[in-house]
Amino acid sequence: MPQHDVLVIGAGLAGQRAALAAAEGGASVGIISKVHPVRSHSNAAQGGINAALNPEDSWESHAFDTVKGSDYLGDQDAIEIMCREAPEEILHLEHLGVTFHRNEQGKLGTRAFGGASAARTYYVADITGQAILHVLYEQLMKFSDSVERFEEWFTTALVKDDTGRIAGAVTRNIRDGSIELFTAKTVILATGGNGQIFDPSTNALICTGDGIAQAYRAGATLMDMEMIQYHPTTLAGIGLLITEGARGEGAHLYNANGERFMEKYAPNKMELASRDVVSRAEQTEIDEGRGFPDGTVALDITVVPKQRIHEALREIVMVGRDFAGVDITREPIHIKPGNHYVMGGVKTNVDGETDVPGLYAAGECACVSVHGGNRLGANSLLDTLIFGRRSGAHAARVAKGMSMPTPAGEDLGRERAMIDGIVGRDRTGRRVSEIRAEMGAVMDKHCAVFRDEQGLNIALETVKRLREEAKTVSVDDKGSVFNQDVLGALELQYMLDNAECIVAGAIERKESRGAQFRTDYPERNDEEWIKHIDLAAGDDGSPEISYSEVTMTQWEPQERKY
Amino acid sequence: MKLAYWPGCVSRGFTPELHGSMNLVAPKLDLELVELDRANCCGAGVIAEHNQELADTLNARTFAMAQNVEGAVGMMNICSTCQGAQSECQQRLDADSGYRDAVNSNLSAENLAYRQHSEWWNKNFLWLLVEEIGLDKLRSKVVRPLEGLKIAPFYGCYIVRPTKRLGYADHPERDQYLDYVIEALGAEPVEYAGSHKCCGFPVITMNRTTSLRQAGRHLADAIDAGADCLVTPCPLCHLNLDLQQPAAAQFVERDLDVPVLHLPQMVGLALGLEPKALGMNKHVVKTKSVQRKLAELAAA
Amino acid sequence: MPDYKLKIRRFDPESGGAAYWSEYDVQVDSERSVLKGILDARDRQDGSIGIRCSCQAAICGSCAVRINGKTALACNTAIGEAAAKAGPGNPIVVEPMNNMPVIKDLIVDMDAVHWKKVQRVVPWLLPEGPPPEREHIVPAESMIDITQSMACIQCGACVGACLALEVDDEFVGPAALAKAYRFVGDPRDGQEAERLKDLAEDPHGMYDCTHCFACIEVCPKDVAPMSQIMRLRRRATNDFEIKDRNNGYGHEKAFVNIVEKYGTLHEAQLLPRSFGDGSLIKGQTEPGAVRELIQNLPTVVNGLKSGKVSPVKALYHHKLPDQRNVKKIFEEIESKDERLELNLYIVAENSAEEEGAMAEGSQES
Repeated sequence: MPQHDVLVIGAGLAGQRAALAAAEGGASVGIISKVHPVRSHSNAAQGGINAALNPEDSWESHAFDTVKGSDYLGDQDAIEIMCREAPEEILHLEHLGVTFHRNEQGKLGTRAFGGASAARTYYVADITGQAILHVLYEQLMKFSDSVERFEEWFTTALVKDDTGRIAGAVTRNIRDGSIELFTAKTVILATGGNGQIFDPSTNALICTGDGIAQAYRAGATLMDMEMIQYHPTTLAGIGLLITEGARGEGAHLYNANGERFMEKYAPNKMELASRDVVSRAEQTEIDEGRGFPDGTVALDITVVPKQRIHEALREIVMVGRDFAGVDITREPIHIKPGNHYVMGGVKTNVDGETDVPGLYAAGECACVSVHGGNRLGANSLLDTLIFGRRSGAHAARVAKGMSMPTPAGEDLGRERAMIDGIVGRDRTGRRVSEIRAEMGAVMDKHCAVFRDEQGLNIALETVKRLREEAKTVSVDDKGSVFNQDVLGALELQYMLDNAECIVAGAIERKESRGAQFRTDYPERNDEEWIKHIDLAAGDDGSPEISYSEVTMTQWEPQERKY
Repeated sequence: MKLAYWPGCVSRGFTPELHGSMNLVAPKLDLELVELDRANCCGAGVIAEHNQELADTLNARTFAMAQNVEGAVGMMNICSTCQGAQSECQQRLDADSGYRDAVNSNLSAENLAYRQHSEWWNKNFLWLLVEEIGLDKLRSKVVRPLEGLKIAPFYGCYIVRPTKRLGYADHPERDQYLDYVIEALGAEPVEYAGSHKCCGFPVITMNRTTSLRQAGRHLADAIDAGADCLVTPCPLCHLNLDLQQPAAAQFVERDLDVPVLHLPQMVGLALGLEPKALGMNKHVVKTKSVQRKLAELAAA
Repeated sequence: MPDYKLKIRRFDPESGGAAYWSEYDVQVDSERSVLKGILDARDRQDGSIGIRCSCQAAICGSCAVRINGKTALACNTAIGEAAAKAGPGNPIVVEPMNNMPVIKDLIVDMDAVHWKKVQRVVPWLLPEGPPPEREHIVPAESMIDITQSMACIQCGACVGACLALEVDDEFVGPAALAKAYRFVGDPRDGQEAERLKDLAEDPHGMYDCTHCFACIEVCPKDVAPMSQIMRLRRRATNDFEIKDRNNGYGHEKAFVNIVEKYGTLHEAQLLPRSFGDGSLIKGQTEPGAVRELIQNLPTVVNGLKSGKVSPVKALYHHKLPDQRNVKKIFEEIESKDERLELNLYIVAENSAEEEGAMAEGSQES
C-alpha cells in the first residue's frame, strides 16, 4: 500500500512541476498518471509562455494585460503573484535545459502573442509545451529516487479520513487491473481540462475533467465553470489547433469576401486581440453569412516569410499537410472557433489549497483564478508552472508537520465493487460512445461561443438525462489487462458532472463577460456580476450555487477594447 | 540512349563480375554508356557521416562530369548505395543555391560546376530499366525466359528509404521494380521478409554480429520461401550476402548456400548471354544450381 | 461515407490463447485517420480493442502501430490512402509495433524497450558549474539545431522499425541516440566528451546502427534519428578523436583516407585500415587489429578462391587520373575550422528560388 507525503494526480506540466517542487522541499512524493507522463495534453501547447523578463517590460504590465484579458473576473492578487514570479520560473526552466529560442545576442528571445502589450512570449519553435514537458520529465527520470512514478494508473476516487481531511486516493493499475489504496498526507490534483465534453474540441481524448469531478464529489467547491475558451483557429470538423503563434508571426484572418474583418472588431490589435474577442468576431462573420460554405473563415499564413515558417511554425506546416491537405506556405487554411480550455475549475487559493483540507489543485483543473473570464495565450503554461510549484512546495511544508492520515471508509472495497458492477453489468444500456457523442453535440450547439437561456436549458435537460443513462452504460471488455472500456465509462461520468456544472454556471451568469456571451444578456454588467460563481455538489450530485468575491488590488474594471 | 555512366568503386574492385556483366548487357538494351572514369567514390554515406560538405563536393564533381557528357540524357549508376548516397547529396545541393555555390567553388580549380536542373537525373540501373527503357521493351528483348526460376529480390536500403528523397512521390512503385523486372524476365519473384531490409554491410567492421545476423536471416528467409537465388542491384549488399555468406551461416546457425546474382547478370541471362561471360563462376557461393536449372530449361 | 475494412491483430494475455485477427467494417471519411477508424470500431462494435491514443494530432506519441506492415502513427495515416496501399478488396492490416513485447492487442511494453534505452543515455542536462544569474548565453543556431532532436515525441516508431534492433536487442537504438544528441549538441551540457565516449565505446552504441534509414522513414516529426546518430559519430571522430574499440573511428577514417589517396574505394585496404584507426600500417601490426584481420581471413580466402579478384589486383588498385585534384578537395575542406553543414530541417527543402532551366544557356545534359 503506497504511502507518500505528497501525492500528485496528473503528470502534465502542473503535476510534474508540483512533484519536483515537493521533492525539493524534502517530501516523499508519488505521482500518478493515467497515461505516460509525456502523453499529457500539455504537450499540445504550442505557442509559448509569458514572462516579463525583458528589462523594458514589467510584471505590472503583464499583470494588467492578464487582468484586462480576464475581463476583470481574475483575482488580481493571484495574477500579481503569477506575473511577478514568472521571470524566475523561465530562468529556472532554462537552467534545467529547456531549449528556448534565442535572439542574436544569444539571450532568450520573444515572439508576439495575443492580448499582450509587449513581446513577452518565450518559446521553442511551435512546440513549447512539449519542450518544457519533456525537460521536466527528464528531471523526473533524474530524480526517480525522490519521486515515485505510477505511470498508467487511473485514479477513481479521492479518499478522506474521519475528520473530512484528504487521506489519499483509490487508484487502478491499468496494466493489470489491480486496485490500490494510496495513502497520502496531501493530494495535489493536476488532471487538466475537460474539453472532451464538447465535440469538436482541440483537447485530447484524455481531457475528461477527472480531477474536477473527483474534487467536486469530495466536497470541494468549483468556480467559474461557465468560462470555457474557444480558440479562434481550429480546423473545422476535427478540432485540431493552429497555434496563436501563427498570428503572432503576422498571419491574417479573412472572410469569404476577402476582407480582413478584425478591423471591425479590434482595430488596434487586429488578429492579436484576446481570444474571446477574435472567436466572437469569427463566429459573427460566419453566422452572418460571410464565412465559407464549410462554416469557416480563412487564416492566411503565406504572408509570413518561408524561412520563418519552417523555423518557428513547423508544427502547423505538418498539421496543415497531414490533416487538412493544405500547404500553409502557399495557401490559406480554413479555421473556426473550437473548444479549447476551461478557465474555471476547482477553487483554490494562491498556494493551490482547495476548501477540502489537504486537497490541492493546480493547472487547468484549478481556478485560482488567474484567467477569470478569458485566458491569454501563453499564460496557461505559466499558470501550470507557477501554481504547480507553489502547490508542491506548500504541500511539502504542510506534510512535514503532520503524521500519515488513516482513510476512514471502505473506499477500496467500494471502488472495486463499483468497477466490477460496470464490468459485470448486462449489456442493455447505451454505449459509452453514444452518450458521449450526444453530450458533445448538445454542448457544442447550446453552450458555445454564443449562448442563450433557451439553449442552455435544453443543454441542462439533456445532460441530466444523460447522467441517468450513464449509470447503466454497457461495456464490452470484461478483462483486467488494459481495460480501456471500463475507464471510458468512468470518464463519461466525470464528464457529465463537469458538463452539468458548466451549464449551471452559464445559466446563472446573466451577463456577458470574457468567454461567456449571452445573446439575451449581451452587455457586461459590472454592477451585479463582478463575482465568481461557485458550485458545490448537492445531495443529488447536482450543483448548488453560491458566489465569491473577485479580489482587486490595483485595477478597477474598465471597458475592454482591443 | 546515351548515358553518363558511374560504375561505382566495388564493381571495379571486389565484384568485377558486376562491371563486366553490365558492359555486356548495355548494348543489348541499346544503352550507350559513357564511363566517368575520372569520377570519384560517392562516399557510400560514410564520407557524409564524416563531413557533409566533403561528400557533397565529391558527388557534385561526379554530377558535373556527368552533365558535361555531350548528348547524355542522364546519369546511370549500378549500385543502390551510390544511388542513395548521391541522392542525399543532391537533395542538399538542390535545396539551397547559396550552399550549392559554396560547394561548386570547391570545384572551380577543375572548372567543374554542378548545375541544378529539374530535367537532369541520376538513376540506378533498376530504375532505368523500368522508367527509361520500360518493362514492355525489356520483355520484347527476352530470348531466354527464366521460367521456373524462383528469384528473391533484395533491394538494398539505399534505394528504398527514405522515400521522401528518392522520388517516390513521382514514382511510388520504385519499391516494387525488382519484382516487376524478375517477372518481366519470366521468373517468379519470391516474397519473403527480408526483401527490403538491410544486408548489414555498413556495420561489418563495427559490429560483426549485427551485420552478419542480418545477412544470415534474410538469406535464410529467402531459402525458406523457396528461392533458387537472390538478385540485388547493390554490390555492397552482394559482398555481405555472397562473400560473407559462409560467415553469415555461422551467425544464424544453419546452412545457407543460396547464390546471389547481380541485377545485370539476371538481365543478361534472359537476354541470351552465357553464365560464364556474365562472371557467374566468380561468386563465392557457387551459382551452379542456377546454371543447371537454366540448362534444364533450355533442354525442355 | 465510404466503408473500410480493418484487420486488427489481437492478443488477450488473460485468455492463455495465441494472438489472432479480428476484422471490422467501419464508416469513416477517406481523409480521416486510421485511428479514427479503429476508434469507430471500438466505440460502436468492440469496446475491448486496446490501443493507446490521446491527442489525435500526432503530438502525444501514443498511437504508434504498424499499418500494412509499415510503422506509423495511426492518427496521421489517412484511412483512404491506407486502403489504397492495401489494394482493392484487401483490408487495412493493423498490428502492434515490432521489437517490443505485446501487452494487449496494439499496446506494447514501451517501458521494457524504449524507455529503458532512453534512460541509458542519461537523458537530463548535466550542466557545467552552477547556473548563471540569468539565462545561459548560447548561440541562437545551437538551440535551433537541437530543436530537431527536441521535436521527438517519444512515440517509439523508430524503435519499432529499427532493423539493427531486430537482430541485436541490446542496441541502444535510434530514439535514445537522438536524445543523446540533444545533449551533445547543447552548449550548456558539460559532458559532451563523456557522453560521446560512452556511446562510442559501447558495442551496442552509436556504431551499432546499420545505417538503413528505417527510423528516418517512419519518424512522424522529421527528427531523422539516423542523422542524429551520424552527428554523434561526426563529433566523436572529428572533434574528440575518440578511437573506440568498435572500429567506428577506424572505419570512418579508413574510408576517408582511401578515397583521399586513390579516389575510389580500395576494398583490400578497407579492413586493415578500419581495424587500425585509419592507418594501414597500424591495421596490420597492432595486435587487436591483427586479431580482427585473422577473424576475417576465411572471407578473404573465399574471395580469392572465387577467382573474382586476383591477389595482385586485390593489392594493387588504380589511382584516378586526376587524383591530385581529389586530394586537394579533401585538403581544402578538411582544413576548415568549422564544418559547413546544411540542415534541411531548418532550411526546408526547396526553400531557395526554384531554378527551372539551367543557367547560362549551356546545352542540355
